[in-house]
Amino acid sequence: MPIHRRNFMKLLGVSVASLYLARCRSPFVTTSCYLVVLSPTPGPPLTNSPAHQRLRLYWLRFDELAQKSRTDAETSFREELVSGHRLALDELVASLEVAAPVADLVQEAYEAAVFHVWRSNIPATCYDMSFNYSFSSADVLVKQTTVLNQIAETGTVDPATLEKAQAALEHDMAFYALTDEELQVLYDKLGEQGRYPSFEDVSLELTPEAQAATQFIVDLLTAK
Amino acid sequence: MTTKPHLQSLIFEVTQRCTHACLHCYNVWQGEPPGERYPRGELDTAGTLRLLAKALDESDCHHVTLTGGEPLLRADLPLLLDFLRERRVRVTIISNGRLLEEDRAVSLIEAGVGLFELPLLSHRREMHDRLSAAPGAWDAVLAAMANVRLHHGQVVAAFVATRLNIADLYETIRLAYAFGARAVMFNRFNPGGRGRLHLAELLPSVEQVREALTVAERASVEFGLPISCSIPIQPCLIDTKQFPHLGFGYCAAGTERAYYTLDPLGNVRPCNHSTTILGNLFEGPFGDLVSTERMDDFVRAYPEVCRTCEVGATCQGGCKAAAQVCHGSLEEMEPFLREGRGR
Repeated sequence: MPIHRRNFMKLLGVSVASLYLARCRSPFVTTSCYLVVLSPTPGPPLTNSPAHQRLRLYWLRFDELAQKSRTDAETSFREELVSGHRLALDELVASLEVAAPVADLVQEAYEAAVFHVWRSNIPATCYDMSFNYSFSSADVLVKQTTVLNQIAETGTVDPATLEKAQAALEHDMAFYALTDEELQVLYDKLGEQGRYPSFEDVSLELTPEAQAATQFIVDLLTAK
Repeated sequence: MTTKPHLQSLIFEVTQRCTHACLHCYNVWQGEPPGERYPRGELDTAGTLRLLAKALDESDCHHVTLTGGEPLLRADLPLLLDFLRERRVRVTIISNGRLLEEDRAVSLIEAGVGLFELPLLSHRREMHDRLSAAPGAWDAVLAAMANVRLHHGQVVAAFVATRLNIADLYETIRLAYAFGARAVMFNRFNPGGRGRLHLAELLPSVEQVREALTVAERASVEFGLPISCSIPIQPCLIDTKQFPHLGFGYCAAGTERAYYTLDPLGNVRPCNHSTTILGNLFEGPFGDLVSTERMDDFVRAYPEVCRTCEVGATCQGGCKAAAQVCHGSLEEMEPFLREGRGR
C-alpha cells in the first residue's frame, strides 16, 4: 500500500518529534553518564524573519510538552503550541515566504508531532500501556535470569515452560556476546532478506507541495 | 459534513465467546440483571471486515485493540490481522493466553501484533485458576508469556486486584518480570458483567489497595518495570502522589483518549465497561455516533458528592460505567468509592 501524502506528512512530524526527544538535536546538547550525544555541526546563524524564528522555536518545545502532559493529560499547552505554530505560519504565508498549500502541510506535520508527544506522555489508561520497546539491557537480562532461577527452584512452574523462558533469556543474552563483525553479518543478512527496503522501493505519493513542505521543515530545523 | 474523530485507540470485541469464566469478568454480556439482555452474536468474516473498514475510514485511528471474549477463538483472526496490517494499524491483543501455543504466537507476531496483554492474577496456580474459573489457566498463561518472549513479541501482564489475590501482588510482579513482561497493569477490581455478581467476595478495601500500591511502587523501582493503575483510583480515597513511579489515569470518555468500543455486531459504546450503546456503526457515520450530543450524558455525569471536590471534574468519581452497571445510574457512586466513603 503506498504511503499517502497526508500520512507521509504526519509520519514526518512524528519522526522529527521522536528524533528531538531522543536528543538528536542542536544546539542545546547535554551529556550524562548514560547518554552519549554527538556534538552537532554548527548551523548557519539565524537570519530569517521573526515569524520564521518563532516557528522554529515551536518545533523545539517538545520536551516542555512531554513534561506538562505527564502531570496534566488535558493540558491546554497542546492547543497553545498548535495555534501559535499556525499563526506564525500564517505570517509567513502573508509575507509570501511560504505558499499556503505548503503551510497547510507543515501544520499537519506539526499537529501530528504534538499529538504524538502528548499521547506518549499522558498518564497511562486502560489499553495503551507505555513502555520502552528497546532491547532489554544486559543488567536486566542477568537479573531476570536470577529471578527465574529462584522461581525454578520452587518447582511450581511446568519444566517445559521454564525451559522456554530460559531459552528466551539465553537467546537475548547471546546478542550481547556478538562481536561487531558478527553483528554486521546479522544486519547484512536482514538487509538481504529485504527487511529494510531501499528508499527507491518505498512507494510514495508525494506532490510537489509535500516535497516543498518537507524541505521547508528540514531547512527550518537546520536553521537554514 | 461529519468530521473524523481522532482516536488514540479503538477497542474491538471480536467475539463474545470465551474459554474462561473469570469471576471478575466485566464483559457487558455477562451477568446481566434480570430483564436486561445485551445483543448477542458476531458478524461473519466479510461483515467483520466491512465493519473494521468503516470504523477506520470514518475515524483517524492508528491503534486497534482486539479483545473479547477470547479473540483467539475467532478462526478468521489471521484475516482480520492481515487487513489491519494493510491499513497500517498497530494491533494489541488482549487474551487469556489459553490458546497462545508457540505456533500461534509466532504467526500472530509475524502478522504484526505489537503487544499481548495477558492476565497474571497470582504467583500461585490455585489462585489464578480459581479467579479464572478454569483449571490449567495459570500454566497456560505462563506458557503463553514464554512463547511470546521466545519469539521476540512483547507482553504486558495484567493483575486484577481483588480481595482474594491482592496480597499476592509482589510475588506476581516478580513472576511477570522473570517471564519477560515489559510492564504490569495493576487493575483494581472494577465490577461489571459477571464481576457484579461477585462484588462482596472480590471488591478490595481502600486500605488493601493502598497497601498494594505501596508494594507496587517498591516493585516498580526494584525491577525497573513500568506499572500502570489502569482503573481510576480516586485521590479522595488514596493520595496517588505518594506513588511517583506508578502511572494513574482517569476516565477519558468523550476525549481523544477515549476507548470507544465496537462489539462483534457493530454496536459502539463509550468504553468496554459501559453497557450504553451509542448506536450501530452500520446505521451511521462513526463521527455521528460519538458526537458531543450523543456522548454528552455520559461525559457530564458524575456523582453529586464529587461536584464540590476540586478534582471532581477530572476524577469524575472513578469509573461511572461501574456505577451504571452496579447501581443503575452514571451519577451514582461506583462501588469502590462507596466502599471508601463507608456507604
